[in-house]
Amino acid sequence: MKRIFAFLTIFIMVHTAQAKIDLVTLPSRDTVQLTIYNSADMTLVRESRALTLKPGNNKLQFSWANTLIDPTSLEMLPKASVDKIDIAELSYPPRVRNLGLWNIESGIGGDVPVEITYLTSGLSWRAFYMGTLTKDEKTVRLKGYVRVTNNSGEDYENAQTRLIVGKVHILDQIAELARRQYPYGRPGEIRPLLEYERLDKVMYRKAKPAMQAAADYFEEPKEIKKEGLSEYFLYTIEGTETIPTGWSKRLISFDVENVPVVNLYKYEEERYGEGVVRFLSFKNDKKHKLGDTPIPGGMLKVYRSTDEQQHLGYVGQSAFKYIPVDEDVKLNLGAVANVVVEPMLMDFKTSNHRFNSKGNISGWDEVRTYKIEVRNTREIPVKIEIQRNFNTRYWDLKKSGVYGKYEKVDMDTVKFSLTLKPRTKQEFSYTVTTYHGTRAD
Amino acid sequence: MKGKKLATIILLLISTSIAQARIKLVALPERSATVIRLDNPQATLIEEERVLTLQKGLNKVDFSWKGVSIDADSIRLKVLDHPGNVTLLNVSYPPAEAALVWEISSDSDYAETVRISYLLMNIDRLITYKAIADKAETEVDLKSYLVLRNFSGEDFEQARVLLDYGEAFEQGIDHEETKQMLFLKAPKVPITKIWTFDAEKLPWDPEQLENRNVGIPVSYRIKNETKSGLGQFALWGGKARLFQDDGQKSTIFLGEDTTGLVPAGEKMELYIGDSRDIVVTQRKMKDIRINVRRNNSNRVVLYDTDEIITAKIENFKDSKAVLTMIQHIPGQWDMEECNMKYERKDAYTLKFEIELGAHDKKELKMHYHRRNIRP
Repeated sequence: MKRIFAFLTIFIMVHTAQAKIDLVTLPSRDTVQLTIYNSADMTLVRESRALTLKPGNNKLQFSWANTLIDPTSLEMLPKASVDKIDIAELSYPPRVRNLGLWNIESGIGGDVPVEITYLTSGLSWRAFYMGTLTKDEKTVRLKGYVRVTNNSGEDYENAQTRLIVGKVHILDQIAELARRQYPYGRPGEIRPLLEYERLDKVMYRKAKPAMQAAADYFEEPKEIKKEGLSEYFLYTIEGTETIPTGWSKRLISFDVENVPVVNLYKYEEERYGEGVVRFLSFKNDKKHKLGDTPIPGGMLKVYRSTDEQQHLGYVGQSAFKYIPVDEDVKLNLGAVANVVVEPMLMDFKTSNHRFNSKGNISGWDEVRTYKIEVRNTREIPVKIEIQRNFNTRYWDLKKSGVYGKYEKVDMDTVKFSLTLKPRTKQEFSYTVTTYHGTRAD
Repeated sequence: MKGKKLATIILLLISTSIAQARIKLVALPERSATVIRLDNPQATLIEEERVLTLQKGLNKVDFSWKGVSIDADSIRLKVLDHPGNVTLLNVSYPPAEAALVWEISSDSDYAETVRISYLLMNIDRLITYKAIADKAETEVDLKSYLVLRNFSGEDFEQARVLLDYGEAFEQGIDHEETKQMLFLKAPKVPITKIWTFDAEKLPWDPEQLENRNVGIPVSYRIKNETKSGLGQFALWGGKARLFQDDGQKSTIFLGEDTTGLVPAGEKMELYIGDSRDIVVTQRKMKDIRINVRRNNSNRVVLYDTDEIITAKIENFKDSKAVLTMIQHIPGQWDMEECNMKYERKDAYTLKFEIELGAHDKKELKMHYHRRNIRP
């Protein structure tokens, strides 16, 4: 289903008949490169074709019906004899849709390689991950995948495929620009056509079953080269790919074994409720056998090896954000019951009352003593972070017992970090005094 | 002239005996020397020259523009050959017609060249920019395109198109046609890359956001000056698309932004996207009332504050960066201690330029007091 066509149209005046004969040659697409973004529905397409030009004025017609190309992004550049070829203008003729006409002034005749670039909508990619914990949960085998989907309406055969990790700023959706009746709109008003939008949704819906069927489509694992550019990362998939419209393809991005992980559990009533939430924590650095490139955001499904026969248990899943090199990763795997944190208010009193001139209370202190019981019922050691919020910025704290590492997070939050051995229980206490009314002054 | 909808000019031969009837004698003067003047973004001025065959005495010239968006009040007629001998007496508008009739007095028979000018709606120009940055992001190859859009109802087979600067050029454009032309090419324009964290606009603590990254806005700054190979004229506002050379004979798309008009000597700043490799974690570590003063009923009437803000800045990039950090302190304030140099942009705004090495980490600590606050 090739929908993009380029015609080289040479106008020949036949003097006898005074008729205008269009001579058309169809230059084929020699190579094509796709640079697919995932923060926006956008792909930069670069294709090379060889045009046969005659000296003088040449007109090249380029049409893209039923595709999702942004016509304002079209550009053609000669790749040879650059100084002899002037691409004077690109015209979008009246009353014709999805067609552009390049006016080329050529100082030479013969074959000229050109590069045509444009932005299109409908191609997308996303990253997802699978983690398999070892039985002792000390390490994980981390596999990263990318899945590239083509819903652009155009079959891109043998395309060099590149993926961009990063957040680009765009003003208009490419799909919307592609649907415009006039490439740059009309003076005074810009509005996409609604019926085209509706049509398009139908197309997407139809395309879906094919997409699903293609989900497990596999080829030989290819290597993905990763490179930083500006604020982005460029993933270049080895060789070329053919992804027909409606299809998608899954490729392995990386596969790292024995990534050391920390089983981190967090407790913070205001944020997670009364349960303990499990996190899988590691760092995107060399020590963790990672750290070559940032890890694009995606969904991670975590499994655990349960026996020698490599049977698996499903632990949970977590969506995570983009992780720069050297940053800590904390993946929220959801609430658990096998690690318990129980804060108990053991004592409450008020004191230091102040009275105003009328004899009313104008200030006082509140003193609360909490006992925090932490239980690890698992067979592996765990790290637990307990955050406590005070709802006021006027406070003092006294701690006792084995409270691990203490840290003031901000003006009304503190954190206790403890490590518990398998199947152990630990307790600590703190007394917080909060100051109210004139006692806060 | 094909498909001409407008601007039929009809000479009316008047004989005094046939007084009332508007007899249109078809003497369609050919349009020549058409100028499309696009220097004003509000409206497009068209000037066209025509030769009118005038007879001695009173002449009526009919000008009509059915289906074409002309501002009727803007139509002007200028006599070019014999301005002293040919006089426009009056203009009248026939009912329910996109037309007008000029009454012209002539002292002799002339083939008179006149210039008709009018404001034409729905024909305009846009400017777009395309810039390709080098891999190191120190300069861009800047190209600017002129996009002519004609939805005026009128076809222009050939016209001189004038902008507010640069050379006029010959161009034809039909009704409903859009044409895109390259009109500025500036290679190797130096750029400055800027990262900006504004504490009023961005979230302070990325940890509170669960699975969202905080993107630090990244911009390119271009100066419209001769040193940059520009500076000859103001750069019109328009959409700019930025690309970057990937070092493999290809480019990647960096982002796009719109720019306003940038006069010569001024800066253009283009926001391209967000960096997720520079992370700011800002927290308020202290915010208490001090020097509390009360009235006789023991109500607080005036107080100061004691506040501490810390901001951890981490650069996870392989390259250095200069982060512009904007902090805001409302009202009257004084800084007790700050571990980094800042510039007071205005009474309530502080600007820090924080230099970060590759994989560098820094912490800003501001200890300040807000003064004389009334509850």
